[in-house]
Amino acid sequence: MATIGHNNLNAKLVLLGDMGAGKSSLVLRFVKGQFLEFQESTIGAAFFSQTLAVNDATVKFEIWDTAGQERYHSLAPMYYRGAAAAIIVYDITSTDSFSRAKKWVQELQKQGNPNMVMALAGNKADLEDKRKVTAEEARVYAEENGLFFMETSAKSAANVNEIFYEIAKRLPRAQPAQNPPGMVLVDRPAEGSRAASCCS
Amino acid sequence: MYGTQSKIDLAIEYKSQIPILRPSIHSRRANITVKFQDIYGFTVEGNVDDVNVLNEVREKVRQQGRAWWALEANKGANWYLHTTIGEGNALKSSLKFSALVNAITLKKLIRKGIPPVLRPKVWFALSGAAKKKSTVPESYYNDLTKAVEGKVTAATRQIDHDLPRTFPGHPWLDTTEGHAALRRVLVGYSFRDSDVGYCQGLNFVAALLLLVMKTEEDAFWMLAVLLENVLVNDCYTNNLSGCHVEQRVFKDLLTKKCPRIAAHLEALEFDISLVATEWFLCLFAKSLPSETTLRVWDVIFYEGAMVIFNVALAIFKMKEDELLLTHHIGEVLNVLQKTTHHLFDPDDLLTVAFDKKLGSMTTNTISKERKKQEPEVMKELDERSKRLNSFQMDEK
Ligand SMILES: Nc1nc2c(ncn2[C@@H]2O[C@H](COP(=O)(O)OP(=O)(O)OP(=O)(O)O)[C@@H](O)[C@H]2O)c(=O)[nH]1
Ligand SMILES: [Mg+2]
Repeated sequence: MATIGHNNLNAKLVLLGDMGAGKSSLVLRFVKGQFLEFQESTIGAAFFSQTLAVNDATVKFEIWDTAGQERYHSLAPMYYRGAAAAIIVYDITSTDSFSRAKKWVQELQKQGNPNMVMALAGNKADLEDKRKVTAEEARVYAEENGLFFMETSAKSAANVNEIFYEIAKRLPRAQPAQNPPGMVLVDRPAEGSRAASCCS
Repeated sequence: MYGTQSKIDLAIEYKSQIPILRPSIHSRRANITVKFQDIYGFTVEGNVDDVNVLNEVREKVRQQGRAWWALEANKGANWYLHTTIGEGNALKSSLKFSALVNAITLKKLIRKGIPPVLRPKVWFALSGAAKKKSTVPESYYNDLTKAVEGKVTAATRQIDHDLPRTFPGHPWLDTTEGHAALRRVLVGYSFRDSDVGYCQGLNFVAALLLLVMKTEEDAFWMLAVLLENVLVNDCYTNNLSGCHVEQRVFKDLLTKKCPRIAAHLEALEFDISLVATEWFLCLFAKSLPSETTLRVWDVIFYEGAMVIFNVALAIFKMKEDELLLTHHIGEVLNVLQKTTHHLFDPDDLLTVAFDKKLGSMTTNTISKERKKQEPEVMKELDERSKRLNSFQMDEK
């Protein structure tokens, strides 16, 4: 859930998607502005935080970057429980990863927080010549399922900040002032818009 | 053979390449961050104090080496193999006594660390890998790697995907030769045990084993003994059920041994598996500096998997005061991550891990705890998969 304290909002965000789809790369691009040609595989999950200024408020994202391999699936509820937002990532060069993304959407629809803001990210958009999933197909699917959709590239940075920004804008503001599980109200000023910390 | 020879004594080569850094007062004041390679070739980023600690550790490793050589000179080259007591009553009591003395000496010695040059030999003998290897034909590993060459499975595809994503930038692991060796070990194992196949996390474990052991084949056997004998069953299979069990056991242990921390984390709704999953699946390979990780493995291979609990508890215990001041999940993770990444002196960690104050645990108590947790974990995983299947039914 997102929580408000003055003009500051804390929001738990989870990234889900097939192994190698680019979840960690998207986070690294967003949080540190970097891209690594070879990003270490994530085991369990990694935690990051990043603050964004949106209109008159700041949103502090607490980001859970999860492991993509199928068998890690059984750990996922721990990360999406109570999440205010989710980015479901697939790789536009892999139809398998798109099917996996759909399964995640389904699971979140049934098990996740009903007010969750869900984004679908078609990542590796820079690899146009290897594309297997058309933007049209993904857009139609996203519309049918009430997600918003963007094609992103962690490599070129295209649409990376945008997708987080868009989520921040869509987070429900009028939450009751009581603390939902796992969230703490912040009323000290955010540490500047690029203040970031990370954990793995 | 498999192109592993050139990395023989890799660790030792690195040692000679690394300049001993003697920071000046000026750089100390500036508190600059430096990048350098540790004894296993990993790039470490640290401040001047970290460099000093690593230099001290290097000196301690040398001293520890001298202690091992002295014992070999005194007791014979393979003295540590004669530490099992009670095998056959024919043993003369004097021999039994010396075996007992050896066992006590060895346990202490191993907790203080096995020198990197002796690691391959000692691990191989004491972990049970040598015994495992001796039960199959000499050519087992060669035959296995030949037989599976060119085969493509879900596991091999995932392994190929992860090869360049395993300690990228390492001067040997991240080369064609390194990737090829890691691939053979992981692919070979995926065929040896198709229930495990390939589980992400094993790439990091196998990579470190390759760096330590002298040959690829020995690394393979170390991986086999680890998964088949040392660790709890099903740690890496389909649902990671074994790992789920370990997490629950650990949670209970933390409540018993560090009640204040446990209560505080509970209040923050911090589930310890948020951080401990990676510890248990990679055996700290992704969290601790290399020599510290390997010092933990020294003890795991001799004393067993419960050592993981000792070490995990110690990480929390060391930072008790700081952890009690946290207000937020993110802060807890930052404290733990900063701590693990900077544990350059293995003794800082192991002293706490094996401190009597933390209370002793036995393999027995851990096994009992595991038995207790298993049904609950199975039930949960089962319910979950039923739920997921039912969504798919709805779809159709
Ligand atoms: N060309 C291109 N490559 C990318 C992009 N994003 C990620 N990659 C590469 O794809 C590989 C996998 O990226 P990761 O970010 O590690 O993928 P992940 O989803 O976190 O994978 P797991 O941790 O295994 O679940 C890495 O080698 C990245 O460099 C992108 O936008 N374009
Ligand atoms: Mg990742």
